Amino acid sequence: MRTLFTLLCSVLLLQAFSQNEAPFPKFGKITVNDLEKKLYPLDSHAKAVVLQDVGSVSIEGNSKGWFSLVISRHKIVHIINKNGYSLADVEIPLYKSGNNAEERISAIKGSTYNLVNGKLEETKMDKSNLFTENVNKNKMVKKFTMPNVKEGSIIEYEYKVTSDFIRQLDPWIFQEEVPVLWSEFTFSLPGFFTYAPLMRGYLPLSFADRKERTNYFSVRDGGGAGQSQNYNFSAPVTDLRWVMKDVPALHTESFTSSILNHISRMEFQMMAQGHPLNNVNFQKSWFDLTKMLMESEDFGAGLKTKSWVSDDIKPLFASISNEEEKAKKIFGYVRDNYTSIGNSGIGMTEPLKNIIKNKKGAVSDLNLLLAGLLRYHGLDASPVILSTTGNGFVWEAYPNLKGFNYVVVLLKINGKDIYLDASKPQLGYNYILPYCYNGMARVIGDDFREISLNANTLQETSQTMVIIANDEKGKLVGKVRHTPGLYESYQARNKIKDKGAEAFFKEIEKEYGPEVVIQNTSVDSLKHYDLPVTIQYDIDLNLEKDNLLYVNPMFNEGWKKNPFTSLKRSYPVEMPYMVDETFLLTLEVPAGYEVDELPKQLMLKIDEDGSGFFEYRISHSGSTISFRSRLKMNKAFFMPEEYDTLREFMTIVVKKHNEQIVFKKKK
Amino acid sequence: MRILALLIIVCSFQHINAADIKYPVSQIPKQLLKGANVVCRTQVEEYHLVSLDEAIVKTRVALTILNEKGDRFSGMVVHYSNLIKVTGFEGSLYNAEGQLIRKLKSKEIGDQSNVSEISLMDDSRVKFHNFNHRTYPYTVEYEVEEKYLNTYNFPRWFPQAAEHYAVEHSSFRFVAPLDYKVRYKAFNYPQPPAETIQGKYKSYFWEIRDQAVIQSVFASPQWREMTTNVFFAPSDFKMQGYTGNASSWEEFGKFQVKLHDGKDRLPQNILDKIQQLTAGISDEKEKVKILFEFLQQNTRYILISFGIGSLQPFEASYVASKGYGDCKALSNYMYSILKAAGIKSHYALINGGRESYARFFVEEFPSHQFNHMVLSVPLAKDTMWLECTSQTESAGYMGSYTGNRKALLITDQGGKLVNTPRYGLKENLQTRAIDAKIDAEGNLVMDVSTIYKGTQQDEVSSLINNNSKDKVQKILQQHLELPTYEINSFKYDLKKGMLPQIEEDLNITVPAYATVSGKRMFIVPNILNRGGLRLTFDTTRKLDYVFESEYRDEDKQVIEIPAGYELETPFENIAIKTPFGNYSATLKVEGNKIIYHRIREQFSGRFPPASGEAIAKYYNDIYKSDRLRIVFVKSQK
Repeated sequence: MRTLFTLLCSVLLLQAFSQNEAPFPKFGKITVNDLEKKLYPLDSHAKAVVLQDVGSVSIEGNSKGWFSLVISRHKIVHIINKNGYSLADVEIPLYKSGNNAEERISAIKGSTYNLVNGKLEETKMDKSNLFTENVNKNKMVKKFTMPNVKEGSIIEYEYKVTSDFIRQLDPWIFQEEVPVLWSEFTFSLPGFFTYAPLMRGYLPLSFADRKERTNYFSVRDGGGAGQSQNYNFSAPVTDLRWVMKDVPALHTESFTSSILNHISRMEFQMMAQGHPLNNVNFQKSWFDLTKMLMESEDFGAGLKTKSWVSDDIKPLFASISNEEEKAKKIFGYVRDNYTSIGNSGIGMTEPLKNIIKNKKGAVSDLNLLLAGLLRYHGLDASPVILSTTGNGFVWEAYPNLKGFNYVVVLLKINGKDIYLDASKPQLGYNYILPYCYNGMARVIGDDFREISLNANTLQETSQTMVIIANDEKGKLVGKVRHTPGLYESYQARNKIKDKGAEAFFKEIEKEYGPEVVIQNTSVDSLKHYDLPVTIQYDIDLNLEKDNLLYVNPMFNEGWKKNPFTSLKRSYPVEMPYMVDETFLLTLEVPAGYEVDELPKQLMLKIDEDGSGFFEYRISHSGSTISFRSRLKMNKAFFMPEEYDTLREFMTIVVKKHNEQIVFKKKK
Repeated sequence: MRILALLIIVCSFQHINAADIKYPVSQIPKQLLKGANVVCRTQVEEYHLVSLDEAIVKTRVALTILNEKGDRFSGMVVHYSNLIKVTGFEGSLYNAEGQLIRKLKSKEIGDQSNVSEISLMDDSRVKFHNFNHRTYPYTVEYEVEEKYLNTYNFPRWFPQAAEHYAVEHSSFRFVAPLDYKVRYKAFNYPQPPAETIQGKYKSYFWEIRDQAVIQSVFASPQWREMTTNVFFAPSDFKMQGYTGNASSWEEFGKFQVKLHDGKDRLPQNILDKIQQLTAGISDEKEKVKILFEFLQQNTRYILISFGIGSLQPFEASYVASKGYGDCKALSNYMYSILKAAGIKSHYALINGGRESYARFFVEEFPSHQFNHMVLSVPLAKDTMWLECTSQTESAGYMGSYTGNRKALLITDQGGKLVNTPRYGLKENLQTRAIDAKIDAEGNLVMDVSTIYKGTQQDEVSSLINNNSKDKVQKILQQHLELPTYEINSFKYDLKKGMLPQIEEDLNITVPAYATVSGKRMFIVPNILNRGGLRLTFDTTRKLDYVFESEYRDEDKQVIEIPAGYELETPFENIAIKTPFGNYSATLKVEGNKIIYHRIREQFSGRFPPASGEAIAKYYNDIYKSDRLRIVFVKSQK
């Protein structure tokens, strides 16, 4: 009786347990039933469906006197149609560093399963499917492609990566561009290490569990010239497991800072080590990190010492007494005389001495040089580290430098905060590009503090003024004066630099339509990077003198297309800044005509919370028509639930911007 | 003696110092600076064919970068692989006065793999360097030496690399053993090369000086017609133990036969399958179709290439077991399958790409001018062409990537140049009917049904074959030229064949398509097919106008508007016939229905500069008519 009871119990237990178990716990369990499945209710249009993606990581002693991560992966994908073939090509990047630390791959195994005459046919991957690309001295890529892949194939592969970079455990990504039925990650964490798991994205976990056990560890120390030593000990281990089921595919929409900010994933940060190892707390406070950066050779060196300031630089700014003037000169000096070779993170790629000698450097090099020079001349400047929009957010709660990828400079003059980036040839004083506005940034200096660079505070204000009147021959001609915001100005400068002013204005003329001719073009402040440019030209409408004349009071400045094309949105709209566009027109009624009809005036708010508004005003007095259109957003971020309203609002803006004034010939 | 040696060293040191002034910008002839971003001060290239196994290529080039736009030429990138070694790489940077700023250090030379995007794995790598200097103007000088371990491919002398690129001096020397037949084809270089004999070698020398910039313009001819350049090709050559001769297409083809030799054996299971699939079918064309479908269902395109693997296919048995291969491997596999079914076919080398690539081909100069391979199957009535890398293309159809051009057929007797199928005005059709309705607020709902044929269906075919259904919806939702719209439903029907055809049915809502303001309604009758260009006639143009592709579009639209409106400004009907194309657009209003009919026929051809005015008018007329707006006003009744 007792035996039966135990048996029953264990059966029940097994059942309860199996619901929480991955569908294919072992390699090679694919059946004909799995292959016969053609449609997955989660996403009936998918090109492929990940049946399971199971990863685990454990920590094991190595022969270099320390520990390695052992990462295992077991993935099964159902290729539904030809567009899914790309999932059969797999690339695994592996890194090594100078000091003998590396990543190795082993135990690669793969099979493709096909249904042939109602029977399962397995094709095993062999060595000839495996390739190694030696990208450069720090990176190689292991590649393989599955054999015999057809529509309806199921592919299965597993491999193991042993990594000496125990502080850099890659995040586990639950969500993909195709749906995932089962995504699971287990972290077997020994008691002597502490890692903080950080869940990111919007989807909830299906469940998480943990199990405790004891494991045996063996570390061998090569000992260099001396004898090698073995250390053996046992320690408690916790198996932490996270599972997400039925994960929908994620697609990138317009106005997305980085899909990285939205994809569901688990990140890991190593916090500490303890008994039986020496107690070390890796978890630094922001204060510690700031101090560390300030003291490091490849960040703070130039801010503290002065020996790198070469004799040819010293006299350049000595005679200027006004602080702000001096700051502007130094900023211009670095921006205009040094070449940026691109962004390579927050650290310096070369000592400041070399940067000065070669007159080139990465973004970090140039901006740290700028901060150093400003300080050398007695100004209160500090580097600011940040993460650009494409790089994803950094989170305040877990102090860490890994997430930052860009350096700018914060200068304090007369109580004002001035932001500088000397790595962009045509960028002005006190302006950094919208991609720097991505939440938390850190000021690194004698003190430490957090600042928030938020697109909801970045205004892009543009104004267009058009005056049109009859000339002596009765033709409608006029002047256009367009002063865009600083970002559009920066882009216009780049465009003019790349293609020349002539091509720049040709493009503008084209946008007006076939009849309009523009001439006497000019761009003011082209070289005064601190100011917006002013684009001016004369315009000749070349209207045909029919009985009726139709004129769009926006000309080519209006919104022609709604930027929100998708019908639905699953994550926030992240515009790069807050738009404020004003368009003013004074139009003389064409000679010999009178106003027949004006568009209706309109004042429209996005919502009652003051997120933004659209104003369309037009009036007529005597022979003059005055028109004004203003589109103003008071925030740059909109939540998915606000999307419909935003899309509808823009539809009306586009519609109004298309409306016409009608003139008819006087009788 | 020691003193003398010291003296010599001192003297030569001083000598070097004086010679350090190189390439001062002040010495550039004025006419070369006009419109230039870069001036090639000198380029000295030498290709030395030592033996059929080895050639040494030396290049010295000095470029003065005049402004930021020239920066993209400022670096040096050297491609190498199993068959090309880099044996020398030096560089120097000079300022505007010609003083040496610095030389590159060997540790600054980057080295990384260069596996192409379409390739899973190959052996191509690059060494690269850039001084990243920014004080303009400046001059970079590079000297590179490479060793070619084959003589299949020769470099090409192309002194003027791009627009806004002037050349002060450039030369090319080809050195080969006395008895080696050097083959070349020169463009815009009328005189023969200077020939000299140096011991056992003979050298051929080309040189140009002071070439001002050239500009690419609308409908330009090929770049190679506009500037000086010389193609080179081997007579005898050797590559990884294989020898050949490229003097004629026939001979060149024989080499390809060698590469394919013995690669056509198939495993028994595939032979059985072929038997089973073709049993009882007598029509050869039908057999080819069935076997091609078998190929498409069981293989995919994966490029893996090392050394001669860029020319030689994997064995058919390899493709049979792996289910993948590149264009050569898949063509060879299909060839073997057809052979097993008793059907003769030929590999065909091709220069695939946009239609302009087709004209890039120099027929009268046998040489490796190919980047792709397809299969040609001669049948009793016609020839079927097979694109073996595609899992979706119709058997017998080539499309804009491989159609309308020359191909080299590899036959048992050697190579034979033939034409691939031609797709012209009669084949490339887009025929559309729109049934639309506009409500009182100007919102439009329409049924759009379109038939695409020939190369006009290529893009649609790739849209529907390479994307899942929701992705198709997403793309459709983005790329139409309408302000705001919603795709309510869509349907595609692909009819495969020698000339494939796609029928598309869309239902689209366009909020506020017509602008209703007060008592008027503004409508652009051409909803979806607005073409033309705004061109100004360039009276100074010296180059011909060249138009590549031919097509015919027809649009028939019926737009119903709310009752009670009458036409205020009528539509100007237009019908133009020109040597470049025909165009007509007519509109009439019947009751509350607008009936619009548009036909555009675009011709290919080459026209002298004097046609410019007529060409500009042609494009401008279309541009204008396609965007014409008509206005309705509420009836007073």
